[in-house]
Amino acid sequence: MDMRNRPRRNIHREKVNLGDWRPTVRRLGGYLGHAKRKLIITFLMTIVTTAVTVVGTRLNGIVIDRYIHADTLHTLLLVCLAMGVMYVIASGFVYFQNALIIQVAQTTSADIRRDVFANLQQLPMHYFDTHDNGDVMSRLTNDVDNINTALMQTFVQLFTGIISIIGMGAAMLVLSPVLTLITLLASAATYAFSKAVAKRTQQAFMTQQRTLGELNTQIEESVTGKQVVQGFDHIDATMATFTATNAEYTTAAFAAQAWSSVIGPFNNMTNNLAYVLITAAGAASILLGQGGITVGIIFTFLIYLRNFTGPINNLLDLINTLQLSLISAQRVFALIDEPPEQDVPDALPLPHPVGHVRFEHVDFAYAPDRQILHDVSLTAEPGQVIALVGQTGAGKTTIMNLLTNLYPLQHGAILLDGHDVTSLRRADLRHAVTVVQQESFLFTLTIRENIRLGRPTATDAEVAQAAQQANAAGFITQLPQGYDTLLTENAHDLSQGQRQLLSIARAFIAQAPVLVLDEATAAIDSNTEAMVQTAMSRLMQHATSFVIAHRLSTIQAADQILVIADGRVVERGTHAELLAQGGEYASLYNSQFEA
Amino acid sequence: MFTIIMQHTHGRARVSFFLAPCIMLGEVLCDLQQPTLMSQIIDHGLARGDGRYVLTHAALMMLFAFMGLGFGATCGMLGSYASLKMGEQLRAHMLTIALTSRDPAGLPPATLITRITNDVTQMQNLVMMVTRGMVRSPLLLLGGIVMSVIVCPNLAPILFIIMPLLVVFLLVIVRRSIPLYTKMQQAVDRVNLLMRENLQGAKTIKSYGLEDHQRAQFTRGNLNLQTTSLKASMATVPLTPVIQLMLNLGVIIALGYGGQLAVAGTISTGQIIAFVNYMIQITTAIVQTVNIITAFSRAITSATRVHGVLAEAPAPTTPAAQPVPIAAPPAIDFTHVSFGYRQSEPILADITLHVPAGQWLGIIGATGAGKTSLINLLTRTYDDYTGTITIAGHDIQSLPLATVRQAVAVAYQDASLFAGTIATNLRFGAPHASLPTLVAAATTADATEFIDQQPQGYAAPVEQLGKNFSGGQRQRLNIARALTPQAPILVVDDATSAVDQSTNARIKARLAKRRRGRTTLMISQRVTNVMDCDQIIVLDHGRLVAQGTHAELVKRNAFYRQLVQTQLGGGAYGHA
Repeated sequence: MDMRNRPRRNIHREKVNLGDWRPTVRRLGGYLGHAKRKLIITFLMTIVTTAVTVVGTRLNGIVIDRYIHADTLHTLLLVCLAMGVMYVIASGFVYFQNALIIQVAQTTSADIRRDVFANLQQLPMHYFDTHDNGDVMSRLTNDVDNINTALMQTFVQLFTGIISIIGMGAAMLVLSPVLTLITLLASAATYAFSKAVAKRTQQAFMTQQRTLGELNTQIEESVTGKQVVQGFDHIDATMATFTATNAEYTTAAFAAQAWSSVIGPFNNMTNNLAYVLITAAGAASILLGQGGITVGIIFTFLIYLRNFTGPINNLLDLINTLQLSLISAQRVFALIDEPPEQDVPDALPLPHPVGHVRFEHVDFAYAPDRQILHDVSLTAEPGQVIALVGQTGAGKTTIMNLLTNLYPLQHGAILLDGHDVTSLRRADLRHAVTVVQQESFLFTLTIRENIRLGRPTATDAEVAQAAQQANAAGFITQLPQGYDTLLTENAHDLSQGQRQLLSIARAFIAQAPVLVLDEATAAIDSNTEAMVQTAMSRLMQHATSFVIAHRLSTIQAADQILVIADGRVVERGTHAELLAQGGEYASLYNSQFEA
Repeated sequence: MFTIIMQHTHGRARVSFFLAPCIMLGEVLCDLQQPTLMSQIIDHGLARGDGRYVLTHAALMMLFAFMGLGFGATCGMLGSYASLKMGEQLRAHMLTIALTSRDPAGLPPATLITRITNDVTQMQNLVMMVTRGMVRSPLLLLGGIVMSVIVCPNLAPILFIIMPLLVVFLLVIVRRSIPLYTKMQQAVDRVNLLMRENLQGAKTIKSYGLEDHQRAQFTRGNLNLQTTSLKASMATVPLTPVIQLMLNLGVIIALGYGGQLAVAGTISTGQIIAFVNYMIQITTAIVQTVNIITAFSRAITSATRVHGVLAEAPAPTTPAAQPVPIAAPPAIDFTHVSFGYRQSEPILADITLHVPAGQWLGIIGATGAGKTSLINLLTRTYDDYTGTITIAGHDIQSLPLATVRQAVAVAYQDASLFAGTIATNLRFGAPHASLPTLVAAATTADATEFIDQQPQGYAAPVEQLGKNFSGGQRQRLNIARALTPQAPILVVDDATSAVDQSTNARIKARLAKRRRGRTTLMISQRVTNVMDCDQIIVLDHGRLVAQGTHAELVKRNAFYRQLVQTQLGGGAYGHA
């Protein structure tokens, strides 16, 4: 019995294409290495328990045939007692074999999760940009679960299934070939029918899945965009479209489900039929005095029947479960094998960074055919403020991503304190440069812990001081739990401005000599904006600072302003110089005052 | 829960809902005949060597098997029909409520979506379960007990000892494991949260070099998950062996004790065999019943959540009013308008405002100042305000909802687009707008450049929520959509936050040029967006604190002057 919310088994199983599965199996075997003894013990126990089922069932029949007589009552009790002892032992074995398997499976999936996560952490930024979070999450959760399920089921069911089929099959054949044939036919019919239904309803199931997808999309869209639907008086039209899809879905789902709801009753019928046939054929041969069949044998078969169809169907299902889990394993291993970011050999430590930054003729492309940056050069002396302006998509953020060596350059070099950033130890480089992103991520931690992420060794007093400097202390102390307020879902209940103040506080605590500040494009309210601006300028007093500015009003005092267009530096100079030039910057600046 | 099912099954669906369990009774009765008939074949047919008896009874068993299939299949189909029809009705009902609801304190969209999709599916499964499993297993259990007592009253005490023991055992295990599974679920959620946040916050983690810190957290969560899931799984491990053992012991006792009775001549071998078969049936039924109870308790949670949506305040029906033609451009008047869920914190407080016909009004203020609420009242998204609002002299409460919504076109802050094409999106408020009208609207919104770049132009596909367009493009389509109906009142609610400054300036200039015949409300937090308006109002904490032209406000109003200073005044950063 499983109390977790497993999806109902679908008779239309995913078609799988496996390629070479041997390396995957070998590798899974590696994870199971430590459990070799447990697995062998489980296997031995399975043999015993299955044998007990086969022998016990047969013993029942023998008891009926031989010992229900006045002169064998003593033996009857003895045999029953012996069977009782046998069953108690077998149940004990079943308990232990299941317990062992669960331990092995849980340990293995925890190990796999640990390895996947460890590697995921080290992957280059490029991986996160080019892979859908949903897909990666699905590997970490569903795929690992699939492996876990397969491990738990495979061993016990595979062992039990094969041994039962061989054992019972042999026992049945010896007892009566005819009755065995009937049992086999019943199993075959059950399987064939469910296959036939699956084939028949394939189309309907696909339509059902497609229309369900459409239905959910329409629901999601209209509820999310409710304001627009209402505002444009579009409710009736929306409902009309929805009603049509809804009806289409119901029709398709009925076509699919009506047929598959017959599978259960059909299996029930084949079982009952086999039941009749075994009884009738058995009775007939007893009456005719042929085939050496006894009432006890009929009885044995009736119980075998219930125990036989189960394992056969399970085995057939198991093949699919196994294939699916191997695919999952391949997907998981692919993630473990992604090459991580690595320091170059003999990477230089940078214990006391000063904050001298230089870009030399930097070319960059995320994908080889789409060059983003062309020949970008710049120099920032320690303590200077450099502003980058330009339209959305011009490449401002990209330039700054390169400074922390998040992506490899196509051409050129970036130097921090005279060292090529690729030659430095990544940890040192990233501690030297603090980036305040447009939308810095806030984790499910308390406010205090979130700020402390800037420097995990900081004391509570330092956290409070940083919050003070970031103009964040005001709103934090007004919260009922103050610094201990737990933030959830990227702090969705804080305003955007407040989230930004927290990430500035985090930057204060990091005390890095180089700062990158990416101004938020979206509107935050004016009071908070003023606080953000003063906090940012306070932060910049002690560092070499790069400001990615979306509003020209904030950067007029910068030491140098770079105007970026299409990945190139098109103008550079101070505010006054650029205005005097009358170029791109001047027209950008003037456009904000135009109507 | 039963009420929800009743409210959403009508006609054939309701008949199916009630008929299915009745028919299931037929299947169960057929199944229950088998062991009895079989024992009769053995006891009477075989004992007397009566071949005909054997044949007729075997034929009877086959008949029951086929009848069972007939009943089972019919029940399955009726059950599917009832559950799907109920789902269809329920979804439509819930979506209608979600779309028409004008309760400002209603459920958030994400919750609504889950409830209309997942929870309705759960409800469908529930109906399927009620019509089939809920009836079948308990009936089989009860019928099995009754039949075994009838067939073999002497062995029945075995059942009455073993079955209660089994039920108690199952209940103990389930009760013990439920809190363990809850704990495991929490551990699963925690590990998933850590994974998700590490993906979403990858850049932040890298920038601060937090890899080790995060990995330590994950290791703790992973270990906890391993321990809790081991505990939970281990709690249910005894189920299989113990059930098997009890059943097997029951069989042995039946054989041993029954054998003695048989020797004494009280019962027959056939009866023993039938009894053992019933015992197997009963045990299966018990296990299934427990499974169904667990599944049922999950579905109940969904039913409660569905009920939460159905219980949302329905939109008040307004008396059918005569459509009134709205003269273009209309004047708008707010007279002593107040609005808010709580008296202590009004969202809008005593707003009195006259917007002359054809005027261009700027509305400025911080987040939460009440700017958007003002518009929501004008479009009658919410009705529970005090005071009066008129458009061209008509109280909006006296106008049909459709008239109000056709008179006011809003470019919302949230630029939601819908799956379809660019054209279907632009025609949202004006289904019959001509292509030149669309082009004109797109031109004003500065959207023609990227629309023309699409191979299919205005027929270019738009994905769900407009995911295939950038934020800036979505906002421009959003503005074009509001322009297409050529409504006499246009509201632009902070709809250009993601477009760059020069585009923003272009859109503003074109809107101004084509303002004739229309009253325009321009909402923004940016001074540059409203400074050229004929009139600007400043909202602060739901109050109208100042009104006038840009020049007047700069001179008179400190709050406005401070806004101008922060947004336009120079030199925030740097050493100067």
